[in-house]
Amino acid sequence: MASEKKLFRETRAYPVVFMLAITIIFIGILATIYQLTLERVESYRQTMLKKMVLSVFDLPVEDIDKNFDKYITLSNIDNLMYYEAVSDSILMGYCFPISGSGLWGTIQALLSVTPDFDKIINIDILEQNETPGLGGRITEDWFKNQFQGKTLLIDDEPQLFSMIPENEKAKSNEICQITGATASSKAVVDMIYKNVVKYSPKLRAE
Amino acid sequence: MKIKEIFVTSAFTENSVWRQILGICSALAVTNLMMNSLVMGLGVIFTLALSGFTISLIRNYIPKRIRMMVQTLIIASYVIIVDLFLKAFYPEISRALGPYVGLIITNCIIMGRAEAFAGKNSPFDSMIDGIGAGVGYTIVLLVIAFVREIFGFGTLFGFQVMGDWWTKWSIMVMAPSAFFMLAILIWIINTPKKQVG
Repeated sequence: MASEKKLFRETRAYPVVFMLAITIIFIGILATIYQLTLERVESYRQTMLKKMVLSVFDLPVEDIDKNFDKYITLSNIDNLMYYEAVSDSILMGYCFPISGSGLWGTIQALLSVTPDFDKIINIDILEQNETPGLGGRITEDWFKNQFQGKTLLIDDEPQLFSMIPENEKAKSNEICQITGATASSKAVVDMIYKNVVKYSPKLRAE
Repeated sequence: MKIKEIFVTSAFTENSVWRQILGICSALAVTNLMMNSLVMGLGVIFTLALSGFTISLIRNYIPKRIRMMVQTLIIASYVIIVDLFLKAFYPEISRALGPYVGLIITNCIIMGRAEAFAGKNSPFDSMIDGIGAGVGYTIVLLVIAFVREIFGFGTLFGFQVMGDWWTKWSIMVMAPSAFFMLAILIWIINTPKKQVG
C-alpha cells in the first residue's frame, strides 16, 4: 500500500490532483464562511445606509429602524431614486446617492439638499477605495463638513466649487482640498456637480 | 529556548524588512498613520502565523513544482477569511480598513516565510516563526509611522500632540517621505554590523 502510494506521488497526475483537491477544500471553506456571514453583512449594510440617511438630515440616529420609518420615504422619479425626509409634515429636504470615479475606484456618497435645491444640508461618504491617509481622508469630518450650507444653485445653474489649499479660509464658492489628494478631493466636488445637474431639474419641478 | 530563538531570529536578527528588504510596498503605503500601521501589522501577524502553520502541516504532500501555487491559495484563503470575519463581526473596523485587508495577500514576507521556513519545519515552529516575522514587520511600520504622523499631522494615533504652532510637513504625509524614512531606518540599523567587507 505504502509503496503504491509513493508511486502515485511520482506520477505526473499527482500535482494536478493535489491542486484540484486543495482548491476544492479551501474554496469550500471560504464559501461556507461566506454563506454563514452573508446575512449578517447584508443586514449591517442596510442599517448603515439607513443610519447615514438619517445622519445627513441631522435626524436622531438612535433607534435606526423606527426613526427611518418615521421620517424617511424612498421614492423615485424617472428612474432616479431619492429619499425624502418629512418632519411634522414639513418637507425637510431630499437625499440621493451620488457616485463618481476617484483615483482608484468609485466613490459613493449620500448628498442631502434643501427642498428648493438652494443649499447642501450635508454629505457623507458611503464607500471609497482612495489611498489611505491621503485620498482616504475624504471621510474625515473637517472635509465633509465644509460642504454644509454651501449654496448649490446660482441663477438656477449648479455651481462648481473651486479648490483651495488645505487650512486656508474658504469663501462660499470654495472647498479646501486635501494635501496630497487633489484628485480625490476634486472627485467629490465633481460628483456633487454632476448629480445636482441630473437631479435638480426633476426634483425642483415636484 | 528553541521557541525564543526562532522568534528572535525571525523578528530581529533576520528581520524581514531591514535584513531581507521584503514587504517594502506595504511599509511604504500605510505608514503615514500609526493606527493604519498597527492594524496592518496585526493582520499580517495573523496571516503569517496561520499560513505558516497550514503550509508546514501539508509540506510533505505538496508537490515541489506547484508549491508556490499552493502557498498562494492558502495565504489568499486566510486573508479572505480575515476579511469576511471583520465584515461580519467588526464592521466598523472593516470599514476603517477599506482595501487594506486585501492588500495583505500581496505582502512578500508571507510568501517569503512560507518558502524559507514553513516548507522545511514543523507546524508549531512555523507558527512561531510567522508571529516573529510579523512582529518584526509591525515594529518597522510603527517606527516609520511614528515619525511620519508626528511631523505630517502633529498627532499620534489620532491624538493631537503638537500645539497649534506646529506647521505640518506635507511631505511626511505623502509617499516620498516613506522612501527616505525607510532608507534612513535601514541605514541606521545595518551600520553597526557591517560584517561583510
